[in-house]
Amino acid sequence: MNLGTPIFELKNVTKQFGSFQSLANINLQIWAGDRVALVGSSGAGKSTMINLLNGTLLPTQGEVWVLGHNLSRLPRKSLRQIQRQIGTIYQQFHLVDNLRVIHNVNAGHLGRWSFFKAAISLISPMEVGTAAIALNQVGIAEKLYERTDRLSGGQQQRVAIARVLVQNPSAILADEPISSLDPERSREIIQMLRQLSQDSGKTLVTSLHAFEYARNYYERIIGLRQGRILFDASPLAVSPSMVEELYRTEE
Amino acid sequence: MNRKDIKGRFHRTLPKQPSLLNSRTMWGLLFVAAVIWSLHESGLFERDLVNVGGWTLVMRFLIAATRPELDVEFLQLTLEATLQTLAYGVCGTAFSLIFGLVGGILSSEVWWQSISLVKFPTPWLVVRFFLAIPRAIHELIWGLFFINIFGLDPLVAVLAIAIPFGAITAKVFSEILDETPRQPLMALLNSGVSPLNAFVYSLIPQSFPNLLSYAFYRFECSIRSAAVLGIIGAGGLGYQILLSLQSLRYEEMWTFLIALVLLSGSTDFWSAMLRRSIGAPSRLDLNLHLSKPKSTLQNTQTLAIHLLQGDRLVKVSLFAAIGLLIFSFWYVNADFTKLSSPQTFDLLIGVIQDSFPPDITKFYQLFTLSAQTLAMSILAIAIAGIGGILLSFPAANNLLLPEDNSHSLWGITVLVFTRFLLLFTRAIPAPIWALIFLFVLFPGILPGAIALAIHNLGILGRLMAEVIENLDQRPLRSLQALGATNSQIFLYGILPRTLSRFVAYILYRWEVCIRATVIVGLVGAGGLGRLLTEQLSSFDYKGLVSTLICFICLTFLVDLISATVRRSLR
Repeated sequence: MNLGTPIFELKNVTKQFGSFQSLANINLQIWAGDRVALVGSSGAGKSTMINLLNGTLLPTQGEVWVLGHNLSRLPRKSLRQIQRQIGTIYQQFHLVDNLRVIHNVNAGHLGRWSFFKAAISLISPMEVGTAAIALNQVGIAEKLYERTDRLSGGQQQRVAIARVLVQNPSAILADEPISSLDPERSREIIQMLRQLSQDSGKTLVTSLHAFEYARNYYERIIGLRQGRILFDASPLAVSPSMVEELYRTEE
Repeated sequence: MNRKDIKGRFHRTLPKQPSLLNSRTMWGLLFVAAVIWSLHESGLFERDLVNVGGWTLVMRFLIAATRPELDVEFLQLTLEATLQTLAYGVCGTAFSLIFGLVGGILSSEVWWQSISLVKFPTPWLVVRFFLAIPRAIHELIWGLFFINIFGLDPLVAVLAIAIPFGAITAKVFSEILDETPRQPLMALLNSGVSPLNAFVYSLIPQSFPNLLSYAFYRFECSIRSAAVLGIIGAGGLGYQILLSLQSLRYEEMWTFLIALVLLSGSTDFWSAMLRRSIGAPSRLDLNLHLSKPKSTLQNTQTLAIHLLQGDRLVKVSLFAAIGLLIFSFWYVNADFTKLSSPQTFDLLIGVIQDSFPPDITKFYQLFTLSAQTLAMSILAIAIAGIGGILLSFPAANNLLLPEDNSHSLWGITVLVFTRFLLLFTRAIPAPIWALIFLFVLFPGILPGAIALAIHNLGILGRLMAEVIENLDQRPLRSLQALGATNSQIFLYGILPRTLSRFVAYILYRWEVCIRATVIVGLVGAGGLGRLLTEQLSSFDYKGLVSTLICFICLTFLVDLISATVRRSLR
């Protein structure tokens, strides 16, 4: 159902950090409803790609188009409006540790709430029902008023997902969401993300360390190596030799 | 199943919303009540407080700032005064460190456990108790007391710094030693090494970065104290500032003030550079146990690496410290023989005989003055705390997320201006601020509170800015990535993660403030401090002892409240 413009598009994108080139001349299109896994070893440029897609970083060269807008050309305010449509989940969760769970989940509203409403909600939580539904969906409704740093790693990642649910974006980005979790927790989180994407038709882009999860849960796999796209194919089309090449260490 | 059903089912199974009445909000309400009571106590609601006639003096004082006295001869005088203050600070620090190291070892739990290896709880607690008394008495009171015994001798300033600071250093050193991992020490002790040797080869080098970092913090404090002690006649910058203020020579006063800011600023800078280079924790965190003990080992290693590789800053600092020490003892030229002269001994015996029995006839007066002193400290810390929080955000170099303003001229201007403001307010001692405010305010606890507030605002603002600079940036960036505005990021990302530490700092400075009410009392602000200085200068030792007991009880009360609040907010 490719309707005209892709939801994400990278045109000749290069990202440089000092003398280190993280991404080199990337061209890429992601369409609404796609479920994409970015795979590769550490330093391949996966996190940089995620940060370019949600507007945290801007490219050194080339253009990043999101929902039909060139992010480099947008003023701050319009950029924020685009960012509301993109929810991100991180490896280290990036939650505010000493706030209660409810406030971290409600942070998903911040793009729509006024400053005043945000301030009042910190004192007396607002839209508790929405937050409770989101937390129930990720299976930890009972933690609503718990302090976030008292939760386990897996539970904190669920809080981060609940925040994205409340934000209700068009696309979900997940930057190595399972690298800090044990295998059982990892599988649960990956399944949950896939289920969410399937039920709501939201685009899902996940960067992953381990190839296994990418093959089992995603329809499209993009292999990154040293800042370049090595392959971009469906799991069936990825051969063992391609995977070997992807993780090969430099001699 | 529709949305309403889900909601309905939820509201029965959901955890109950915690009540708004928890220990935090209770303390918050108590704080508001305390501030209102203090304002009432200051007479803000009743009397005329502003002396309108003083405005012309204020104008003259401010205009003088644009043309400080820069005559060569005068600059030479300024240099001499600055060196004198510096030398007092250095000598005072040297003695307080020796005192602190010995006292620190003797009052640490680990020392007594290693020499006796019997679980006998009292010895270090006894030492700690005896160290609590010199600590509770402000260095200015010590100074006035020593003037009565030694007369106007440089010895007065050095001892007045060394005794209370030595006791504080001993307390902090003992806590650092007790928190250092003990396995290496136990290994040495178990293989038959004597306790002193075992300490020198394990705990002391292990905790060295923390000890060094705190020693430098004490040096910064000593410099400020040396300036204050000048006011009671010990000489140096404080004395010169007081003289020029009293003779209305504001141009000269500004030159001295600038010298003081430069002296204080360069000590702060040196100390901060050194701490960063050895990776030691922030100075206040040592006081508040906020640093993680596990970092100690790592710090020792980095320090060892620095020394081995000949890190220039650390090496130069060590040589500079030794050079400064020799110079200072030569420059101060104190008559240390007085310490052991029979005359001193006779005077001391005389004072002790005069002090007993303490005068308890003025009990009611002491009670009113204690209430005033408490109110002064509460007002001071409320203003300093709120002002410090507000100024710390523009003073932090990373607040608005990096990509936003790193190169904007406006951002840099605000940063530099706030930092300078904070440096200026903390470099000028509180009694000088009090004297300035007495131009326009009638004597009472209000000018004292404002003076203490301004000085502490400078200290708190800088510390809080450091906290903000050390914040993990990633949660902030994640909020930004979902489209939150800067003010919302402040609410949800910065405030929750800094507030508890800010409150801890404010409470700690409150403990310092209640002790410092003495020094503003000296120049005419009210409270117990004023009574103490009057009694000291009129040799009324019987009255003095009861006032001191009252004052010490008050400081212990404040320490107790502060510790309780800090524990309940953790």
